[in-house]
Amino acid sequence: MRKMNFVTLSMMLFFLLFIGSWYFVIVAENASLSELFTEKNASHAAEFFKGLIGVGEDNNAFLSKTSWKQALGLTRETLQMSMMAIGFSTIVMFLTVIPAARNVADGTLTLSQKWHSWLSYGLIRASYVVSRAIPELVWAMIVIFIFKPGILPGAIALALHNFGILGKLCAEAIEDSDSRPVRNLAAAGASKTQILLYGVLPAVLPQFLTYILYRWEVIMRTTIVVGMVGAGGLGQQFKLNMSFFHYTEVSLLLVCYLILVFIADFISERSRSFVK
Amino acid sequence: MAQETMIELNRISKHYGRKIALSSLSFVINKGEHVAVIGPSGAGKTSMLNILASMLPADDGEILVDGKPLDSYCDRKSRAQKIGMVRQQFDLVPQLAVIHNVLAGRLSDWSLWKSVLSLLIPQDKGRAIEALDRVGLSDKVFERTSSLSGGEQQRVALARLLVQDPEIILADEPVASLDPARAEDILKMLTRIAAEENQTLVASLHSVDYALKYFSRVIALKDGKLFFDRPVSEVSDTLLAELYSLEGNSQK
Repeated sequence: MRKMNFVTLSMMLFFLLFIGSWYFVIVAENASLSELFTEKNASHAAEFFKGLIGVGEDNNAFLSKTSWKQALGLTRETLQMSMMAIGFSTIVMFLTVIPAARNVADGTLTLSQKWHSWLSYGLIRASYVVSRAIPELVWAMIVIFIFKPGILPGAIALALHNFGILGKLCAEAIEDSDSRPVRNLAAAGASKTQILLYGVLPAVLPQFLTYILYRWEVIMRTTIVVGMVGAGGLGQQFKLNMSFFHYTEVSLLLVCYLILVFIADFISERSRSFVK
Repeated sequence: MAQETMIELNRISKHYGRKIALSSLSFVINKGEHVAVIGPSGAGKTSMLNILASMLPADDGEILVDGKPLDSYCDRKSRAQKIGMVRQQFDLVPQLAVIHNVLAGRLSDWSLWKSVLSLLIPQDKGRAIEALDRVGLSDKVFERTSSLSGGEQQRVALARLLVQDPEIILADEPVASLDPARAEDILKMLTRIAAEENQTLVASLHSVDYALKYFSRVIALKDGKLFFDRPVSEVSDTLLAELYSLEGNSQK
């Protein structure tokens, strides 16, 4: 009975909010939906999309050899940037992930605990949080402010954001791993490093690889965003062409970008099914 | 034959909070003996074995292994040469090939560099294959351990013990998750290996039948105390009935 009352109350509140907000939009703000679909807006949109496919453009980028050459060069640069980014973040993740796992810090996994375990655990986990919390766009702005624009700062920015994500995911993979084989290795006299090599890594590596490939896919898609703030690659050129109204160049870049994303998806999907 | 003392427990106690796992447990096991530890669930069998394997500290009492206190085997190498442990099959690394799981018994002897190299090119391969041959798995050397059946995985664990070659084998419910035929097979193999290598064997078991069939001496624990400790021939049905009876305070 009480639950019924709660549901009806929230339904009534919902309708009240719905009516109230539309009243505000239409009466108080004097907004009109029909204004969105005016002749002017329609012709602007038509012009833009016609421009994208090359109707009425003087220099059609699809037919120009130099444009293709430039676009493909930028595609290669973008690919490079994403590879560098995932490479950097993977290296840093591997260096930090083991002390960042809770079961390593409290000693249940490796059966040895040192006083500094919790300290390094806290520091590394905090760095993961900072790295994750700041979006790659902001990282890119900061890094480009320090370095000059190019694909290296773009890669660094992407790596800075993704290492926190990878670190967290992989540390959790270690936390979920089975401690029974590890205990037995310890009983057979294996050292801490040997335990990691024989007991922990084989169990978590397939998962690590899945995460790394997935983040690489995401990074590939984000390169265009960090490119817009000057990190090089397709994104930077995309923004420049937009501001110069080179519409066919824009669509050419979009085509290259789509091909890149398809390739990345294909590669990571195939290698993931190979790992499984 | 001169009886050489291998394990000596002296008033060992262990409690978790207010729950008593072991209270003042004492017994002596001689070199080469095959001892089965039986008792109802929660009697302290696993705690006792874990304390013997120095994976769990005892609250009170002392343990002598081969005449020296257990604490003196503090470095991993000398401990691994003295004591080896086998549990249920979940203690192998399922993702590794069988040979690596067997060679894990050599880790205490190996340098870090050698153990890294071994993951690429198995080291001491002959020894591992010989051990697998003895447990009848010479055809599965490079198979993924997770693809093996429960009984086969337990044989891999035995092969690892062969490679480790400790003087004492502790077995904690080694056949608990196997069907009767596999269980008998594993126990037969375990006791045969221990006899051939002149090893001391201490195994905790759920099944009294297996204890009477494959071991020479039975130690029964109840509520963390020694209930009886005698050769197999002197274990009577009335004693066993009393051991597993549900009224905890009907004796002693």
